[in-house]
Amino acid sequence: MGGIRAIKFMKLTIGHLYPKLMNIYGDRGNIITLANRSRWREISVEVKDISLGEPIDPEIDLFFFGGGQDKEQILVASDLQEEKGRALIEAVENGAVLLSICGGYQLLGQYYRPHLGEDLPGIGLFDSYTVAGEKRMIGNVVIEISDSLQSDYSRHAEHPKTLVGFENHSGKTYLGKNCQPLGRVVIGFGNNGEDRQEGAVYKNAFGCYLHGPVLPKNPHFADYLIQQALRRKNPDFQLSPLNDSLETLAHQAAISRAKSTR
Amino acid sequence: MDFRSKLALAFGKLTLKINRLTGSGGTAAPGLIAQKIDPQILSKLANHLSFGAIIVTGTNGKTTTSRILSGILKEAGFSLIHNRTGSNLIRGIVSTLIQASDSVGNLPADLGLFEVDEFTLPLALTQIQPKVVVITNLFRDQLDRYGEIDTIKKHWKEALQQLPAESIVILNGDDPSVAHLGQNLKCKVLYFGLEDKTTALTVKYHATDSTRCQDCGNDLDYEVYFISHLGKYHCPKCNLSRPNPQIFAREIKLESTIGSDFLVNQPETAFNIHLNVPGLYNVYNALAAISVAYSLKIRQNKIEEGLKNFKSAFGRIEQIQIGEKSILLTLVKNPVGFNEILRMIFSEGTKRNVMICINDLFADGRDVSWLWDVDFELMKNKTDHLTISGLRAEDMAVRIKYAEIGEENLKVVKNLPEAIKTALDSTPKDKTLYVLPTYTAMLEIRKTLNKFGYVGQFWEE
Repeated sequence: MGGIRAIKFMKLTIGHLYPKLMNIYGDRGNIITLANRSRWREISVEVKDISLGEPIDPEIDLFFFGGGQDKEQILVASDLQEEKGRALIEAVENGAVLLSICGGYQLLGQYYRPHLGEDLPGIGLFDSYTVAGEKRMIGNVVIEISDSLQSDYSRHAEHPKTLVGFENHSGKTYLGKNCQPLGRVVIGFGNNGEDRQEGAVYKNAFGCYLHGPVLPKNPHFADYLIQQALRRKNPDFQLSPLNDSLETLAHQAAISRAKSTR
Repeated sequence: MDFRSKLALAFGKLTLKINRLTGSGGTAAPGLIAQKIDPQILSKLANHLSFGAIIVTGTNGKTTTSRILSGILKEAGFSLIHNRTGSNLIRGIVSTLIQASDSVGNLPADLGLFEVDEFTLPLALTQIQPKVVVITNLFRDQLDRYGEIDTIKKHWKEALQQLPAESIVILNGDDPSVAHLGQNLKCKVLYFGLEDKTTALTVKYHATDSTRCQDCGNDLDYEVYFISHLGKYHCPKCNLSRPNPQIFAREIKLESTIGSDFLVNQPETAFNIHLNVPGLYNVYNALAAISVAYSLKIRQNKIEEGLKNFKSAFGRIEQIQIGEKSILLTLVKNPVGFNEILRMIFSEGTKRNVMICINDLFADGRDVSWLWDVDFELMKNKTDHLTISGLRAEDMAVRIKYAEIGEENLKVVKNLPEAIKTALDSTPKDKTLYVLPTYTAMLEIRKTLNKFGYVGQFWEE
């Protein structure tokens, strides 16, 4: 009974990092998905936009950081230096959940090295770095989620062990020792097109190259993020299941399109 | 013409003949082969156009703008060569010229009207020195093919800077990034835009790309938004503001899915226009075409005549009668275009029957992420029946589910011919089914309707 009461008063605070600057490739769909899937379970949701010059609110349970164009990424990189980047790392150290895609993912690593000019410093949340590549890596992606993460997912045996998305990047990302990949590439290029790794995980912070957007077609991943975020305040919290038949069809269709297009 | 270009021309013509004999509708091959033999073939052929060439580019509205313009130019007595079949890469233009020319490259026309893919513009400008370049707008579009819009803008700027003083560049002044291209050019620049606050957006789109100052990066202040980031803007920090358009539309009356009436102002005249295609975006397209006509000093009555006879381009708002019902077929290809179509269809507040078909082949854009930048939330309680089809029907269905517009009306039918039947069956007599396909889905729908006996063969013109 106590559990039910807890759900009634449950609230999820989402922090959307740079929604105006880092908003290409439909990544807004991830926010819509997180918000709807929470509301559909009577969890109230607040989305706080975090723009240039605005501080990191310690109340935030779940951060989202999307992809942007080069010019915008330079502005954002400098905004994240010092104070703000430190606050974001601190939030993750304290259990906050974070999902970053493409440009956002790159800026959370150690640095981005362009073809010309100086390195663009990251904040080093992920022990990773990105180097500008010669050719753009574009297409459908299917990855198999890393074993260590699967133990968390496998609570629900019916969850797929795959994530699907669409990548479009020229930066090649390499992981260091202090973070692990999100998964192994089944179809596509992944982090760098070389080591078959895709994405990065550090504590509850995730980075990846999966547009698509990723969460609507991977509802198991969306729910995992929501659940981890809410467990910050309620360690035993368990999400109730939803009818995901459409989402599951989209997940499967994305896998079969990936197979036939690459 | 030198030997090499004659050879290129001969092989191009041969390929064209083979294409015709084998019934292949491909428009690129002759141009591709000619280019292989003589990389300069385009500039050599284009030199035969005594009055020069007009180039039309931009994310949305290229085809419609070119077609409106073609009508006006013919009315004004020009003999034209126009790459009409949507082949807007260099090889497509070369194919068009090869088809029209004789064996030594003489052309039966004095003016070229070339619709050019936004990615191809820089290359086209190195080979054709146009009399006029017109740019309709710049929106996010199939990022897997075209890349980011800043990159496109940068390439455009570099290309336009090479144009000589006698060229004319015509820009959409309401689009901050397109208008900004007009700074520091050697050639003459004209702007077009809207001056009518009654057509303002009441709800801002989520897909807005260029709302920051192109000079200082500060957020722009908008007095009014017309479409996405098109509007009347200024920068509160530096001096940048929307250039005053020399050619503008006001007193715009939009007639839902039928057409529009508006008053065009040119520097010395103003006149009323009735347009046979609906939507505010088509007012922009007409203005772009009228601006080119103005720059060529074409008289007002010729412009009016040209517009009177205008019919919509292939798949861009096509009305097809199916017994006692009808289909309104409209291509969708990017977030802003899709938003504008929704705005047009639902402007009257009556509930509609809608079918959406999303494919992810190369010509559609392989990435379907863009569906999440379309404001489907606007459709809430506005559809009677919604049928979804295409290679990415499932993605589209999920998008609709998360827009929370009422899933109970939703039918997902993967097979396209079946989907058309289902959607038509659920459309009542004397009503219209609004069909919104991506490019290759549109071709498939045309083929299906053709089999059912409702539309003619689609190799237009």
